[in-house]
Amino acid sequence: MAYQAQLAAQADELVTAITNIPENHKHRDVYREYVLRSIRHHTFVRTNQFEVADRIKGLEERFRVVGRDALADAYRQRLDALEPHRDHTTPDILHFLLELADQPAQKSKLTD
Amino acid sequence: MADRTEKQAAAQQAVDILHEISTILNCHLDRRTLSICISMIENGVNPEALASVVKELRKEGQHAQAENSAAAARRR
Repeated sequence: MAYQAQLAAQADELVTAITNIPENHKHRDVYREYVLRSIRHHTFVRTNQFEVADRIKGLEERFRVVGRDALADAYRQRLDALEPHRDHTTPDILHFLLELADQPAQKSKLTD
Repeated sequence: MADRTEKQAAAQQAVDILHEISTILNCHLDRRTLSICISMIENGVNPEALASVVKELRKEGQHAQAENSAAAARRR
């Protein structure tokens, strides 16, 4: 029960953080329920850590192929810095970031 | 107590690094949203399902904001 309550609170926080809609908005509960339903009932398979590692490495190579060596170096530096903090959820978190990546080789700016 | 503070500092550092990686990957995530998502994943939420939810919420948020702007313009 505590787990469900925690998940509901996190779903609520996520709706606020992403949509910026106020708590009294008419669609607020609908969004929260959508989040909870979507994360409970889905057809996605579990993260394959080897596939994630391949995608991470592939992206670094892609940065270099398109001549974005500085970006590739910055990326590698962060991945190396993450190593001491690795735990069993790290592949899942990296998988999440890879799913949200938006054409980084073309659009990412080091100044950000 | 000192051990707990050290663990918290290490967790903060990990989030900072992940936020930098998310910026390099152009994920359009602020630090707060990323922290919430990390907590959800640590609680067992499927990362792909969560990414799909984030994308959908962004679209809905844009609709809601457009709706609010239109309503505000009508009131003027």
